[in-house]
Amino acid sequence: MRRYISIFLLIYVFGIGTSVAMDGLTPEQEVLYQAIVQEVRCLVCQNQSIAESNAELAKDLRIEISSQIQEGKTEQEIKDFLLNRYGDFVLYQPSFNKKTFFLWLSPLILLFLIYGWYRKINLN
Amino acid sequence: MIKKLPVLIFFVFFAFLAKSLFQNRIEIPSPLIGKPIPTFSLPRLNAEGMISDKDIIGKISLINIWATWCAGCLQEHQLLVKLSQGSNAISIIGINWKDQADLAMRWLEEGGNPYVDIAVDYEGKTAIDFGVYGAPETFLIDNDGFIRYKHIGALTVDVWAQEFLPIINELKQ
Repeated sequence: MRRYISIFLLIYVFGIGTSVAMDGLTPEQEVLYQAIVQEVRCLVCQNQSIAESNAELAKDLRIEISSQIQEGKTEQEIKDFLLNRYGDFVLYQPSFNKKTFFLWLSPLILLFLIYGWYRKINLN
Repeated sequence: MIKKLPVLIFFVFFAFLAKSLFQNRIEIPSPLIGKPIPTFSLPRLNAEGMISDKDIIGKISLINIWATWCAGCLQEHQLLVKLSQGSNAISIIGINWKDQADLAMRWLEEGGNPYVDIAVDYEGKTAIDFGVYGAPETFLIDNDGFIRYKHIGALTVDVWAQEFLPIINELKQ
């Protein structure tokens, strides 16, 4: 059983994101490209990144991102490009701002709540 | 009371998640609303020359992103034709997205042509600038070329009356 699980995990870990490569990128650019495409949500399919998706829009975005990398754009510039067009939802790791602060802080808030509750229970 | 807190938290969370289950997750608010239309220059489908964002500025108009492969586009097509006619006609600019020119031309011959002008975006670059992710998408543009509203999916009589008309009436005042 453990063997099957490890085989599954191996396929899972190495199978993702390696399927799409772009021509004409230097090895460093390729690293940047892979990092970005795996973080961009495919808005047509919504539960895949554009690295995994075969949707037409995902293809177009991959081409756009790779050509922007070739032009020498930075990761932040490319992310801003996407955010300005598709909104926060397009990145799997949304930026920290007025609209998303609750999303980011909610685990901490929850942790404090549970800690407070735990102490109360123990004191009683 | 304090012992019941986790139960309370559970239900608050449950309600929160249950609510998002019924939300329309397809529609994602566009950051482009309130901004000028993206600059573009695209060839025309059925005429010579290029069409650019500057051609659109100057009157209230719609930009409709459509394709012959898109089911929602067929659904809304007759409504678009109706909106483009009569005394309250609105100017509709089409962007034919990731399509084939011959199919697009036949589609217009069969269903009627509601568009005053049609740009062709088969590479999808302009569509990315418009933040398009699912055709049909319809943008409401004001006199100054600012995007006032965006609807994703097929336009319906209800959407037109409830979402578009109030903004258009306000713009006309």
